Amino acid sequence: MMTQRRIGSVAGCLIGIFLLIAAPAFGRSVTDSAGRSVEIPETITRVFAAGPPASTLLYVLAPQDMIGWVRAPRDAEKPFLLPMVRQLPELGRLTGRGDSLNLERLIAAKPDLVIDFGTINDTYKSLADRIQSQTGIPYLLIDGRFENTAAALRLVADVLGVKERGETLARAADETFAQVDKVVAGIPPDKRPHVYLARGPEGLETGSRGSINTEIIERVGAINVVEGPRPKGGIVSASPEQLMAWAPDTIVSLDRSFHATVSQKAEWKPVPAVAAGRVFLAPSLPFGFVDAPPSLNRLIGLSWLLHTFYPEQAPGKLREQVRSFYHLFYQVDLTEPDLNTLLDNSGG
Amino acid sequence: MRTATILLSLTILLLAVSVMASGIGPYRIPPLDVLEAVLHRMAGGGDTGAIETVLFNIRLPRVAAAACVGAALAAAGAAYQSLFRNPLVSPDILGVSTGAGLGAVIGILLGLPVLMIQALGFGGGLLTVVVVAALARSLRGSGDVLVLVLAGIVVGALAGAAISLVKVLADPYDQLPAITFWLLGSLAGVKASDVAATVPVVLLGLAPLVLLRWRIGVLSLGDDEARALGIEVGRLRTIVIAAATLVTASVVAISGVIGWVGLMVPHMARLLVGPRFDRLLPASILLGAAFMVGVDTLARSAARIEIPLGVLTAIIGGPAFVWLLARNRRKLLP
Amino acid sequence: MTLLQARGLAIGYGRTRIAGGLDLSVGAGSVTCLLGPNGVGKTTLFKTLLGLIPPLSGTVEIDGSDLSGLDRQTIARQLAYVPQAQIAEFPYTVIDLVVMGRTAHLGRFGGPQRADYEAAMTALDRLGIAALAERDSTRISGGQRQLALIARALAQRTRIVVMDEPTASLDLGNRILVLDTIRGLADSGLAVVLSTHEPEHAFVVADRVAVLGRDRFTIGPVEAVLTSEELSQLYGVALNVEQAPSGRFVVGPA
Repeated sequence: MMTQRRIGSVAGCLIGIFLLIAAPAFGRSVTDSAGRSVEIPETITRVFAAGPPASTLLYVLAPQDMIGWVRAPRDAEKPFLLPMVRQLPELGRLTGRGDSLNLERLIAAKPDLVIDFGTINDTYKSLADRIQSQTGIPYLLIDGRFENTAAALRLVADVLGVKERGETLARAADETFAQVDKVVAGIPPDKRPHVYLARGPEGLETGSRGSINTEIIERVGAINVVEGPRPKGGIVSASPEQLMAWAPDTIVSLDRSFHATVSQKAEWKPVPAVAAGRVFLAPSLPFGFVDAPPSLNRLIGLSWLLHTFYPEQAPGKLREQVRSFYHLFYQVDLTEPDLNTLLDNSGG
Repeated sequence: MRTATILLSLTILLLAVSVMASGIGPYRIPPLDVLEAVLHRMAGGGDTGAIETVLFNIRLPRVAAAACVGAALAAAGAAYQSLFRNPLVSPDILGVSTGAGLGAVIGILLGLPVLMIQALGFGGGLLTVVVVAALARSLRGSGDVLVLVLAGIVVGALAGAAISLVKVLADPYDQLPAITFWLLGSLAGVKASDVAATVPVVLLGLAPLVLLRWRIGVLSLGDDEARALGIEVGRLRTIVIAAATLVTASVVAISGVIGWVGLMVPHMARLLVGPRFDRLLPASILLGAAFMVGVDTLARSAARIEIPLGVLTAIIGGPAFVWLLARNRRKLLP
Repeated sequence: MTLLQARGLAIGYGRTRIAGGLDLSVGAGSVTCLLGPNGVGKTTLFKTLLGLIPPLSGTVEIDGSDLSGLDRQTIARQLAYVPQAQIAEFPYTVIDLVVMGRTAHLGRFGGPQRADYEAAMTALDRLGIAALAERDSTRISGGQRQLALIARALAQRTRIVVMDEPTASLDLGNRILVLDTIRGLADSGLAVVLSTHEPEHAFVVADRVAVLGRDRFTIGPVEAVLTSEELSQLYGVALNVEQAPSGRFVVGPA
């Protein structure tokens, strides 16, 4: 007995020592959302975000590991970001074929890891494999679907070694979703708003039902007036005539100049939402509440939509919720003037 | 013979440009390091430091691919200019590039792996030309090149409309940028395996063009005269179209749509060696390869972001073409 | 010796029949002239004789072999075509243009060799335009271009030459030069067929003449066929054939 246990523990020690000695620079193997098994280094200090959704994900989890932005933050956005990331360089996109980022520059940036957060399909899987084999840099694909937010946070937090923070954020995300579902369940169908998402300065670009752009609007129980040709929607063009036919009672706008001028435009006046003054500008500092990028920045957008669409039923105060979200996720403390700037014209 | 000298010079030019291109890129590698890495690899060494990764996985495949693309497009352009008896013809006249574009963007829309996207691009290009040829044959028999051109315009326009439709249906965040960049042309994502797959196909397509170059030149006199001089016009036309389509489709599959090269390089070559196709073809191939290597070097190092190849060739090609026409009106146009 | 023979030839395109019942034979060392009004089908007949379009019925034979059974290269070794001179799309030099006539004798791959260039230069020389060899063929005069095309047919070293209106749009001096050349070719043993709008040219250069009218086809020795009546009927205008004191035949309105 004794001998067996002793042999067992000695063997265990030896195996442990052997593993330590034999361990290569790549410390461990993780499985990404696409089921790919990827070798990553033990310590990760430099991460490249392959697209805007990934930038947001990386920023909330481990801003200290960021080496750059896909698009550099504008001046108006900088006060809403941590000081350490405000001046990071613009590196360009990597997702998709033949993109703006040169692979040599990627190597020159010396990242330990590339994170891509978005659609998982064969195209992106094979692209990830290609870039990984060409550059030798591990490439992780994370499922960017909104309902996957908590799982994504947990997965990436584990990879980056910030498990605790990841758990905290994931729990907050779960709570937000639960709250949304609870409130929406209590709204009768006839009280649900008919919404049109107005993109672009003319407001004539929109997302059809089921599109990633209108995802959260539909998530809070609103009805997207724009029905598209397929269940999974996309960006479509609209005409003022169609708008009158659809007759939305609420408009969510992403463009400041559209919001400022819509009530003066003759062709928009007959639209019920415009006539009733229910045109809301989605806040967007530093990341859009509704869209742009379609990442977990939309969590606070859910709260905003709840308060905008269902002011009586929405729990708590919006300003408090915004403040605590920004504190927790973006690690910035908003003053009253900040909140005003942020929520200006949003109806909040 | 003057032609031999010119061809030799062009070969040296191609080699020189390729060597220089291997040393230029956003990741700084001093020329001596380039040489050392290459010699070491040739001697069997298998280092995988950053320099080796950049050089052998990224940069050299790009240089090789660029040479391939330039050679193929220039050869196809020159061959079609002889076939259609018109110096303003480009390799896309029968719709091969547009068709390849359609195949590839459908692959992107369906979310298929990159290899499938390339295969669909290749297949789309071939299929489009087959459709055009069949359409022309059913309309007027295969005797009339004008019918071929018209069929090419029609089918090309349809393919272009289909591409626009795909763009509307595509996911605006993930797929649309990919589609847009593919259609603008780029060698940014090219791997050694892509080159290994493309080079044999391009060589296979160039071979008949090179071997038959004298007869292809005689074709430019017109169907009746060519026949009377002993050329089987229908058969030769089929071979030229098949070969030109093969080389064009295979390079468009890895590089996306790149215009102007097939139109302009034969004109530049014509200024050097004259209009005779048996001299023009080798000159076009060499000049096209060197040109494309130069343009791709510019694409990856002129700015902080990758400039799409199609944009660069248009920016360089358009004005250069106008200049060529102005200076050499009589030599180039009847 | 008959080199080119058409038997019971009906010519046309698809369902459209243009002329039929044509019997034609052209012998070595002779010139046969084809006359007919505009649009009657002279070019169609030529293209059928050259094998460029198939006959609706009947046969064309070269040296006894049916044309329809021969491949283009074989045909081109025996039968050369001189089309009406047009400006080419590409600025080939005259020598380049002429050496293309050697294509029928080249292998499947590869281009002209020294012997081919020599044949081309010999042909240019024979027509007196050797000095034009390196000139741009699109920048020489119409007459010179026509001569170059004839040189190309010569370089092709065939026994039969078919010429489509070789004197059209040439000035008087060049016309005489071309007619002299044609006669010289026949005298050296070639069989020459040419079409022309000028009956007087037929008198000058031809041994036999073929007249293609709207519903008529006659072939025979020049002076026998080209009578005033025949010509008047052919062109639908009253014409008269006269012989000048010098012996030349002149055709004019009656």
